[in-house]
Amino acid sequence: MIQEENFEHILAKKYMRTELLPHAFCSGCGIGIIERMILMAFEELGEEEWKRTVFVSGIGCSGWTPLYFRSDVAHTLHGRALPFAIGLKLAKPELNVVVVMGDGDSMAIGGNHLIHAARRNIGLTAIIVTNMVYSLTGGQMAPTTPEGAITQTTPYGNIEPSFDLIELMKAAGATYLARWTTYHIIQAKNSIKKAIKHKGFSVIEIVSQCPTFMGRYVLNKSDPRDIMQWFKENSIPISIASTKSPEELKGKIVVGEFLHKPEVMEYTERLKLLKERVGRR
Amino acid sequence: MPGELRLMTGYDALVEGAITAGCRFFAGYPITPSTEIAERMSNRLPKVGGIFIQMEDELASIIAIIGASWGGLKAMTATSGPGFSLMQEGLGFAVITETPIVLVDVMRGGPSTGLVTLPSQGDVMQARWGSHGDYAIIALAPWSSQEMFDLAIKAFNLAEIYRNPVIILSDEVVAHIREPIKIPPPDEIEIVERRKPSVPPTEFIPYLPEPGEWVSPMPVFGEGYNLLVESVMHDEFGHRIGMGQPIAERKIKRIYYKIEKNVEKIAMYEERGLDDADVAIVTYGSSARTSLRAMKDARNLGIKVGMLRLITLWPFYDKLIEELSNKVKSIVVPEMNMGKIVREVERASKGQCKVFSIPKVGGVLHNPDEILSAVKLAAR
Amino acid sequence: MSAARVKQIVVSDKLCKACYLCIWACPWGVLEIKEERNWRGIKKPYAARIEQCRACKLCELYCPDFAIQVIVDEEEERKILEVEEIYEKKWLDRLKKRDEIISRGVWWL
Repeated sequence: MIQEENFEHILAKKYMRTELLPHAFCSGCGIGIIERMILMAFEELGEEEWKRTVFVSGIGCSGWTPLYFRSDVAHTLHGRALPFAIGLKLAKPELNVVVVMGDGDSMAIGGNHLIHAARRNIGLTAIIVTNMVYSLTGGQMAPTTPEGAITQTTPYGNIEPSFDLIELMKAAGATYLARWTTYHIIQAKNSIKKAIKHKGFSVIEIVSQCPTFMGRYVLNKSDPRDIMQWFKENSIPISIASTKSPEELKGKIVVGEFLHKPEVMEYTERLKLLKERVGRR
Repeated sequence: MPGELRLMTGYDALVEGAITAGCRFFAGYPITPSTEIAERMSNRLPKVGGIFIQMEDELASIIAIIGASWGGLKAMTATSGPGFSLMQEGLGFAVITETPIVLVDVMRGGPSTGLVTLPSQGDVMQARWGSHGDYAIIALAPWSSQEMFDLAIKAFNLAEIYRNPVIILSDEVVAHIREPIKIPPPDEIEIVERRKPSVPPTEFIPYLPEPGEWVSPMPVFGEGYNLLVESVMHDEFGHRIGMGQPIAERKIKRIYYKIEKNVEKIAMYEERGLDDADVAIVTYGSSARTSLRAMKDARNLGIKVGMLRLITLWPFYDKLIEELSNKVKSIVVPEMNMGKIVREVERASKGQCKVFSIPKVGGVLHNPDEILSAVKLAAR
Repeated sequence: MSAARVKQIVVSDKLCKACYLCIWACPWGVLEIKEERNWRGIKKPYAARIEQCRACKLCELYCPDFAIQVIVDEEEERKILEVEEIYEKKWLDRLKKRDEIISRGVWWL
């Protein structure tokens, strides 16, 4: 019999800094599930890949995600996770660089860096945790807040339209795109595995539950079980969504793998060709 | 060919100095008057096996060089006034994570977009106090092409020794001037490499140095040390702390004192004719070039004038100015701004002698006659 | 799929935050909420009908806190102890070393 007092799951014992657990997220927060997706992906990819992996994160609730992993981690400034990851990847191209950011962190203050990293098709894996609000500062409006929602800075209802990250990244030039929710754990884990193996710039948007702010303000559901049920009922796979009209898709979440282009050349390969060309002169 | 004289602009000398010191990563953004540094770096770095990338703005440039420094490369960026204001956030990040980087600020007329192609010395205080919070910084002020070469190497060495960002405060004149420089042979140049830890990862404590040392050795990413590079206030492992006045105080005082209490080792200056002087000219950068001419004219008129040229502006060497103010009757500080380093000189002299400021704004160097008339006034 | 015999369903006192996502996830109704609160003040879930468990491990998947694990047999229990020995224990020494150095006082203050 195993004692229950100080028990941790076997994945936590193997890959996480157990001296920092229990982690600081709220009860029922989706970020814990996202940590599990990442660790399950690496458990299947093998120890060699884990040893070559480093994590970079921004500021926000999602920025605390990789701090609990026993690996090289950089917790940078708000919106500036991608430039740090670019500098690191160029200095050591053999590393797997996984960047974990929030929706406000990557699309609002870090929007410029996101579109240029996608344009360069640099070999990073960006996991963007969307919870429709800025949760660490108390529930303010974010670029992904739905219209009409009431948050701390939109007490009369949100008047701004929201972003569609996948369309933005398609136009900017990213080469692997997927969106899942925390309900779709196995599918998201497979996407993460594929994105780590993919050489170019991959973006996985994971819609995650925030019972404290997004649940209470935007969805009127404060129990994480109700929000999970809402994710289950309101997510539509791409193959079905393509047959529906935009009115029917309002308020729904379209999930699946949108794009996979392995043939576009990645930035560090272009740099290597340049060095060879210049060195010969 | 090392050993012979070459005619180079300040930019070229800076780039050659950086590459000699081992710089292999440059991320920048074009801004007048520092664009030529980025252009020459884009030409030279691929030939020596380095990496050049033009980022989308200055915010990305400084964060990218911090990332490259944690990837094991010596990294540098170059900018001017408006870009320097944007980089303050990244500078604070480099200070709290103790990352060695070099930042070149080619000062131009401000404020805001200002006098785009004309020189000034208006960023000297921003280099020290520009970012938020408590921190210390090293800033160097070259006055010739030769010094652009020498101080570039010195800046990289200081950054690696103290694990702190180092700022090179050039101005537009020093950067564009074309002068002969002498590149010494490689065995006469001192280059400091990064210190690596000697214990295995399970025993290494990243931010707790050995007794008597100010900084601990710096491993890089991908070596198995499981580092936590953290911008929130952290403890010796990089873990964030909830409520922790003793922990935060230990860290802030260490990164502050490691520069401020080592002034004697870091400070560089040059003295001319101060042995019998009644009036001293304390100056730096391009203003020192004009002051030299004014000093010679004043000596011809019989006034006993000497010059103290500050090469390190920060950390400010208080004791040097205090001793100087004991020896001379008055100090004259010509600057191409509204009077910034003169405040430090006044504070350090502790009222032991008179201090006169000669500000000059508008994008031109001083006229030697202006400094001469101020010296005459000070000698009375 | 008939009911498998699982050895134990462990729910950690240290990590569980009583979000009850595991109870929502379980398709067989194995887990229930306990009556008394533990030393952290929460009502943990526990395996009320362990004979119904088929070891599908959905409760493990949906737990955000890594607090619950379904242990099927001795082999899995042995693997947990092995991982603890190889991966976890060796990193805890440097914490004690740091506390010792700090308690003696640092030289720059």
